[in-house]
Amino acid sequence: MSENSPNDPPDGASPAVITRDLTKVFDAGDSEVRALDSVNVGFTRGRFAAIMGPSGSGKSTLMHCLAGLDSATSGSVRVGETEITGLGDKELTLLRRQRIGFIFQSFNLLPVLTARQNILLPAQIAGREVDQERFDHIVDVVGLRDRLDHTPAKLSGGQQQRVAVARALLSSPDVTFADEPTGNLDSRSGAEVLDFLRDSAREMGQTIVMVTHDPVAAAYADRVVFLRDGRLVDELYEPSAESVLDRIGKLEV
Amino acid sequence: MLRVTLANLRAHSGRMVTTALAIVLGVMFVTGTLVFSDTLDDALGAQVKGSAEEYSAIVHTERTTEEKQPELPRQTLDDIESLPEVGSAAGVVHGDAPLIGQEGQAVGSMSTAGLSASEDTRHSTMAEGELPTGPDEAALATSSADVTGFGVGDEVTVLDAEGREHTFTVTGLLDLGVDPELSYRGAVAFTEDTAHAMTGIDGYSEIDVTGAPGYTDSEVRDAVAEVTPGDAEVLTGAELGARLAESAGAETELITTGLMLAGAVSVIVAGIVISNTFAILLAQRQREMALLRCVGAGRGQVLRGVLFEAGLVGLVSSAVGVLAGIGVGYTGVVLGADALGVGDSAASLVVGPAAIAVGLVAGTGATVVAALVPAVRAARIPPLAALRDSAAQGAERGTSTVRVVLGAVLGLASAGIATWAVRSLEDEPALIAVVAAGVVAFAGVVALGPLLVRALVAVARGPMRELGVVSGLAADNSGRSPKRAATAMIALTVGATLITGYSVISDSAEETLTNKLDEQFPVDYEISGQMSPHGFMAEVDPEVSRELAENPDVARVVRVRSSGAELEGPSVSAYFGGEVGTEVSAPVASGDLADLEPGSVVVHEDDAEGNEAGDEIAVETAEGEETFEIAAVTEGNTGLLGVTMDPDDFREHFPDVTQDQSVSIQGTEDVPADELRDTVMAAVADHPRLQVTSAVQMRQEFTEILDTLLLVVTAMLALSVLIAVAGVANTMALSVLERARESAMLRALGLTRGQVRRMLGVEAVVLSLIGTGVGIALGVVFGWAAGVALLDGLILSIPVPRIAGFLTAAVLAGLLASVLPGRRAARTSITRSLASE
Ligand SMILES: Nc1ncnc2c1ncn2[C@@H]1O[C@H](COP(=O)(O)OP(=O)(O)O)[C@@H](O)[C@H]1O
Ligand SMILES: [Mg+2]
Repeated sequence: MSENSPNDPPDGASPAVITRDLTKVFDAGDSEVRALDSVNVGFTRGRFAAIMGPSGSGKSTLMHCLAGLDSATSGSVRVGETEITGLGDKELTLLRRQRIGFIFQSFNLLPVLTARQNILLPAQIAGREVDQERFDHIVDVVGLRDRLDHTPAKLSGGQQQRVAVARALLSSPDVTFADEPTGNLDSRSGAEVLDFLRDSAREMGQTIVMVTHDPVAAAYADRVVFLRDGRLVDELYEPSAESVLDRIGKLEV
Repeated sequence: MLRVTLANLRAHSGRMVTTALAIVLGVMFVTGTLVFSDTLDDALGAQVKGSAEEYSAIVHTERTTEEKQPELPRQTLDDIESLPEVGSAAGVVHGDAPLIGQEGQAVGSMSTAGLSASEDTRHSTMAEGELPTGPDEAALATSSADVTGFGVGDEVTVLDAEGREHTFTVTGLLDLGVDPELSYRGAVAFTEDTAHAMTGIDGYSEIDVTGAPGYTDSEVRDAVAEVTPGDAEVLTGAELGARLAESAGAETELITTGLMLAGAVSVIVAGIVISNTFAILLAQRQREMALLRCVGAGRGQVLRGVLFEAGLVGLVSSAVGVLAGIGVGYTGVVLGADALGVGDSAASLVVGPAAIAVGLVAGTGATVVAALVPAVRAARIPPLAALRDSAAQGAERGTSTVRVVLGAVLGLASAGIATWAVRSLEDEPALIAVVAAGVVAFAGVVALGPLLVRALVAVARGPMRELGVVSGLAADNSGRSPKRAATAMIALTVGATLITGYSVISDSAEETLTNKLDEQFPVDYEISGQMSPHGFMAEVDPEVSRELAENPDVARVVRVRSSGAELEGPSVSAYFGGEVGTEVSAPVASGDLADLEPGSVVVHEDDAEGNEAGDEIAVETAEGEETFEIAAVTEGNTGLLGVTMDPDDFREHFPDVTQDQSVSIQGTEDVPADELRDTVMAAVADHPRLQVTSAVQMRQEFTEILDTLLLVVTAMLALSVLIAVAGVANTMALSVLERARESAMLRALGLTRGQVRRMLGVEAVVLSLIGTGVGIALGVVFGWAAGVALLDGLILSIPVPRIAGFLTAAVLAGLLASVLPGRRAARTSITRSLASE
């Protein structure tokens, strides 16, 4: 595995999002933190990818830069055909609104809205028509049919994350980012959510990029990339929990 | 604990800014008012004292408005001058000297006073020019100069006691200070001889004495008292000065009381705002409180810690408020110097210990009291809460049954009191009952507040969702902490209720009075005599009405004759040339005005002694008591008052009354306004003491007075609204902090910065519209009730444009309140907010 080379997808499809020499430096008072250091990585359409690495390795920062939530210090990020480096806040907001889905670790949902309203929120913000059939399908897939009119306070953590997944997938974004989506869940609920994410890639052709530090979670993905100290250090296709652990073990040394 | 408290204050100083601001503004108003009144009293006092204190003794006769002032004979002055204790003495002549204005008629409804003034008399301070020295010279009081437009060097015409015109050259303008009688009437000052000649008064109303060297003022006073007639009072200059200063203070008392009341409202509103801030801050710090309990802090310690924090914030803010108040109060006196009668004399700042103490105590006290409930609640937080996940802010749960019951009980009680007040009480007790009903209703609104917010937001939510995602989210957010929202709302409601209530009273009063004038007494002009303070009234020569009645421009002339004040009973009037019941009318309690005929009378209910139409009543006439049948009983404060008789009866029972008290003129339909005016002015040209009032002018003056009052009241209450808006801003700002993650997520999902700002703007507008709307509703109801209590036959008039103005102001206030929180929310970095926690 050659470091810092664009990861060409094995099947030759065009990447949903790709970076070139992506570098992010934080100004932490007197010292500088190089959170990302010349990262070159691409994520294939219709695939489920995981980003792994120890705490502080730059996973969240990478995801934020990929999703247009944060701007790169240097290098570039392309979402589909769009070069997003240098876009202003307005354009980035529109990009997120129209082409990107999000699932966060916690507090994903607006407490004042019902599950249904939360799921429909991005479409409303974007002023998009909602395809009722797709809505029904997704709601059934995540198993929320009878919880639609509940507010988040009345849902379990797993149910809340499933609402977040449904919300992210409803508008079939170009790419969905998930930052430790199972970090706050017990293993059974976590497994459910990960199943949905995998199925949505396999069956609905969604592109999913998930940040995690859990090898079990990573094993659901089609591919895992490893970060350390802001650098892309390794990757693994068709991972299993054991192979991921094994790879982490090697990297630690 | 002390260290924790201080550390907290340092850490959260930003969040305390609006709290501090609320206290500063409230205290500023209170201290400002006190400094203002102290400084004003002092300035006025110094001014009136100064004029009196120069004299060793002052002899004056008791002034009454009823009777002609008793005079001090010239002999008394001679006697005083010959006393060994007396160095010099000068008499002051004080009578009537009707000044003729530029229009050719005497100025004012009461005749101008005529005075003598010289270097040796008390009134000798010149604002401009010199004292008169010759028989053709006169000085005008500054107030008379203002009203007439005459100045130094002008020729003025003044009537003597016989009504003859005399011409004088104005040599100067006399500053008479704050003498209430003289500033109302105005004055013309002459040399002593001229003053005697003009007023027809031979003696003096006051003698100003300067003692001979070697005698104390009280010795001089006692000596003078020996030679003065018994009905005169002798005081030392200092004594009179003190008395004048006191009455000058009484003059300003009304302003001070009004300001103090508004100040109290501001402090209460500030208290509400502070209470909300503490409640929110402490809710946000719940974990920290619980942690303190975990590490061993007792409940008392937590409570004391919070109260100490409140006390410290209150004290510091109050101190700032006191300083600001001193500045504001002094500025008020300096800016208002002319209007307040302080003149040009530079007022020296008076800061009494009370002004400082009241400000500090009110501010600190209000803060601590306001923090009490949140503090008790904070102390109740169990240590276990530290371990709970408190970040997820669920919807507040209130015991809504208790609230509904309490609200309903208070609402019913208020309705009961108000109905009772409107139905069965009158005047002051009714007004007090209405105010009490208002307070009870307000307590009901406080109890129902959170439910009210929830209900109103629920109503608004549907349409607001339709408007778009931003306003939909705003609607959801505004209903999300109903208790907080309700408290923020109530702070606004206080001011909105009071301002709307007063507007409704003012508008209804205007509508009622002008409407009644139109309906009951449709006149274009009224001619009446000029009064003098001795109750003497120059009456209208019947020649004037005869001349007018013959003029083709004039449709109708109604003459009123009246029994005058000499009789024991109610005054008796008769209308000549106008049919009672049609052309002259009034609201009727019983009977029919048209039934008035010889042998019967119309009586106002205040003088009816409980009788009704058809009963008999004894009426005091010039020929003794006579019995009449009551044709009708009138009510209300306009229209027919006292007893009204048939003109024939009046002539018979009051044969001596041959002059008209007033004459009302109505022009023909098509006569141009100018022409009618010229006709009326021509009719009174030979009678300079007659006053001509036009209905239009009367209405205008009346409306102007009401509008000015409304403006003053609104301005005084505006500060409480401002404080409440700061409270809304504060609530928003704290909510924004709480919802940082949520805003970050919305931004991630594609909400633009502008949309986030707009969302908060709409939320603040919703809050302030609810607060203002509830206030307007309460204000209309209780303003109406108070109006009915004060004015019989009130025509309810809701000042719709003005209320629309209030709502617009509410929208703007909401937007204003959201500016800073909105900026903050929009600027917050998405990634940092997502990363926190
Ligand atoms: N806003 C920021 N300011 C300064 N340093 C930051 C900021 N965000 C992240 N960092 C630093 O960048 C590095 C990578 O952080 P992050 O991407 O959050 O790591 P991970 O998600 O892999 O735990 C860390 O050293 C972190 O301290
Ligand atoms: Mg992270």
